[in-house]
Amino acid sequence: MRSPVLLSAGLLLGLAALPQSALPQSLNSAELLHPSADSWPGYHGDYSGRRHSILTQIAPQNVGNLGLAWAFQTNQTAQIKSSPLLVDGVLYFTVPENVWAVDARSGHQIWHYTSQPTPGDHIGNRGVGMYKGWLYFMLPDGSLVCINAKDGSARWKVQVADGKKGYWTTMAPVVIRNHVIVGVSGDLDNLAGYLRSVDPETGQTQWQWDATPPAGTPNSTTGGMTWMPGTYDPELNLLYWGTGNPTPVLNGTVRPGDNLYTCSIVALNPDTGKLAWAFSVSPHDTHDWDAVETPVLVDGTFRGQPRKMLMQTSRNGYFFVLDRTNGKSLLTVPYGPVNWTLGVDKDGHPIPNPDKEPAPDGRLIAPDEGGLTNYRSPSFDPKTGLFIVDAHPSYSIYFSKPSDGAYGWAGADYGLWGKGTIEAIDYRTGKIRWKHEVGEGGSGAGVLTTDSGLVFTGDAYGNVLALDASDGRTLWHAGAGAPMQSSPITYELDGRQYVLTSSGGVMFAWTLPQTALHVKQPAALASR
Amino acid sequence: MLTYAATGIQPPGSTKKQTDAISGNGGAEAYANHCAICHGDNREGNLPGFPPLVGVDRRMTDEQITQIIRTGRGRMPGFPKLGQDELSALLHYLSIDDQPQPEANGSSSLAEAGGILFQQNCAFCHGRDTQGGESGPDLTQSRVVRRDRGGDQISQVVRNGRPEKKMPAFHFSDQQMHSLVAFIHEEQAKAVSKPGGRRGVEVSDLQTGNVNAGRDYFNGAGRCATCHSTTGDLAGIASKYEGLQLEQQMLYPTEARSHATVTLPSGEQVTGTVAYRDEFTIALRDTDGNYRSWAIGKVKYKLDAPVNAHVELFSQYSDDDIHNLMAYLQTLR
Repeated sequence: MRSPVLLSAGLLLGLAALPQSALPQSLNSAELLHPSADSWPGYHGDYSGRRHSILTQIAPQNVGNLGLAWAFQTNQTAQIKSSPLLVDGVLYFTVPENVWAVDARSGHQIWHYTSQPTPGDHIGNRGVGMYKGWLYFMLPDGSLVCINAKDGSARWKVQVADGKKGYWTTMAPVVIRNHVIVGVSGDLDNLAGYLRSVDPETGQTQWQWDATPPAGTPNSTTGGMTWMPGTYDPELNLLYWGTGNPTPVLNGTVRPGDNLYTCSIVALNPDTGKLAWAFSVSPHDTHDWDAVETPVLVDGTFRGQPRKMLMQTSRNGYFFVLDRTNGKSLLTVPYGPVNWTLGVDKDGHPIPNPDKEPAPDGRLIAPDEGGLTNYRSPSFDPKTGLFIVDAHPSYSIYFSKPSDGAYGWAGADYGLWGKGTIEAIDYRTGKIRWKHEVGEGGSGAGVLTTDSGLVFTGDAYGNVLALDASDGRTLWHAGAGAPMQSSPITYELDGRQYVLTSSGGVMFAWTLPQTALHVKQPAALASR
Repeated sequence: MLTYAATGIQPPGSTKKQTDAISGNGGAEAYANHCAICHGDNREGNLPGFPPLVGVDRRMTDEQITQIIRTGRGRMPGFPKLGQDELSALLHYLSIDDQPQPEANGSSSLAEAGGILFQQNCAFCHGRDTQGGESGPDLTQSRVVRRDRGGDQISQVVRNGRPEKKMPAFHFSDQQMHSLVAFIHEEQAKAVSKPGGRRGVEVSDLQTGNVNAGRDYFNGAGRCATCHSTTGDLAGIASKYEGLQLEQQMLYPTEARSHATVTLPSGEQVTGTVAYRDEFTIALRDTDGNYRSWAIGKVKYKLDAPVNAHVELFSQYSDDDIHNLMAYLQTLR
């Protein structure tokens, strides 16, 4: 709250004089606070989680000409679920146990890090975090590796979670000053979730925040995993993080109450790990609806008043707008079919309907277990005030009976039907301004918006789409062979804007043809 | 580099070896001449670039293997001039399985290896103990697993995936597949020996409804009778499906086909089942089995998707309606 503001302002002056980092393959705190057009230094780009770019070279009037600059083949069967970083012209992205450094201009591989085979769940990897010339990468077995960004060599490896107990790790570490903040996964066992800050030089633990009491505490929940990177407000010096579902997952009888701080959005001091406030998104969840979806930070007016807000389209089907200074609710409204509540209480928390808890003869539940959205990023477009999300209207049946026990999953659920819809939500009212259907089963693609009024995302069939942000119309598409399982990014290098999307194990870089760029210069200049 | 070297060996080898290629040794020799440099002396492969060929005959037909040998694939060069005899010998050699088979009782170390693979690749969806997890069914209750003998069913599903249910395909070596299968069977045996501890849905769990109320719903509020007949398409449905499977089919029949009639600019009309449809392309399979596709902007089409009536019902059902409907459908034996 105090010194960080001054610190960042000081560094900002330095940044103005020197638009790019002085050292190649190195990242400083100022760049993380205010990324320049030629960088994407964190999972979300900047700390806000808006996944919005000020770039305007690619615009509604020319996006129809968009073509392939290059494609990078990982030659892995694992799908790319990571969001790339871009620092000093080099992209860094991952699949489990693998990191690539790739030239952002050409798609040429600079190096490839691969670890020894590890135990632990290989469900995905969300990417790396960066501090100075070091990358931070989590292996499935609960270890964190520090990698030299120059050559991909490992500097050290520390264990941040006990894989033998059932934890695994997939998330992209978040770097704030000299804190590398890491989260954990693991809801197949009754384990307590936590968030940990480690020293970027040594890997030593600086602090740990526990989401729940320790496993084995009577009448208490476990869970609250922290498997997605959070966001950060440097002025308030608060780190915002979503926590996962409680355990046992489908059987709530042994964990009465709201099960704090599972399925919550929490605000922590990144220097100490001290909790500033918490908001329960799904009190007493029994449907596996992690509240880890990006907590998007927006400054704007709400009902006529200027507000520092936090917005989340949560897996449980509700769109939340909070005052991020204190965690008080401004708006809670469903953004698709939701049938598991008795309404919303006066503080903005959904009230779970006990009749919709999993039962021996089954309960029809909307949305399904994957939720009305999942980990791929939404985007906030400041020009239109639209919060744009890949939604997944869906139905499923949930079962649980006493013989299923009270450990781990403790029940069963089966998806029945779902589809994908890109929705543009007016944050002031929660009303959906436009919808764009993206196919049976659902898409799973993340969303990127740009200042020129474009939305980049994908459909259920493997098409990459550019939509008009004002009405959701398709302006451009390309078949990429498999649905996008990550969130797009964009950057500008040598006067060319690139959009990066992944499909399967391939990373695609899209750009305008150079002939088109010579004709249309004003857009490029406007982006500076 | 290696592949080009292999191409260089190919033409002289194929002519010279034709006579002795008919015997089994000829196959081994053909392999050593053309394939071993990339796929390894013992067909073990060199991942990720060069796949193992042990058990390749279980993954592909002879025709498919021949096709790849003839025309190449990816980085692999084609061997168009390989003589027919040598090719036959090579195919025979590739079909020899000299991998150790899992023993009936000494399988625990195999299952242990499979367990590690399972935790890495499968546990997220199917649970740590194969009894179901995030989005994936309980494998101890799976019909595929129950009918599986030595991996014949499981490996099919693992290798091909189930795209319609979003299960991806996995590329395991045969040895890995053996171990995975051993693990799944071991877990299933454990689950069966522990009644009551299983997670899943029994037929007996789904007997809470009322038959008469279900019949009323079928003919009334549910409007099921608009499309279905208990003496027609649904006659004997409870003999075909039971329990959870019946309920899933009732709520959303995943195999239901949609039809469409496409009108071309010439006025010609084509009718068929919808084979593909996104916002840019529509494709039909006509009654003769031909696949035809069109850019959506260039044609008009009329979609007939009766399955959408099931989607409309989702927001209208109470849980009792579902249980009653189940009770009624279970009388249709």
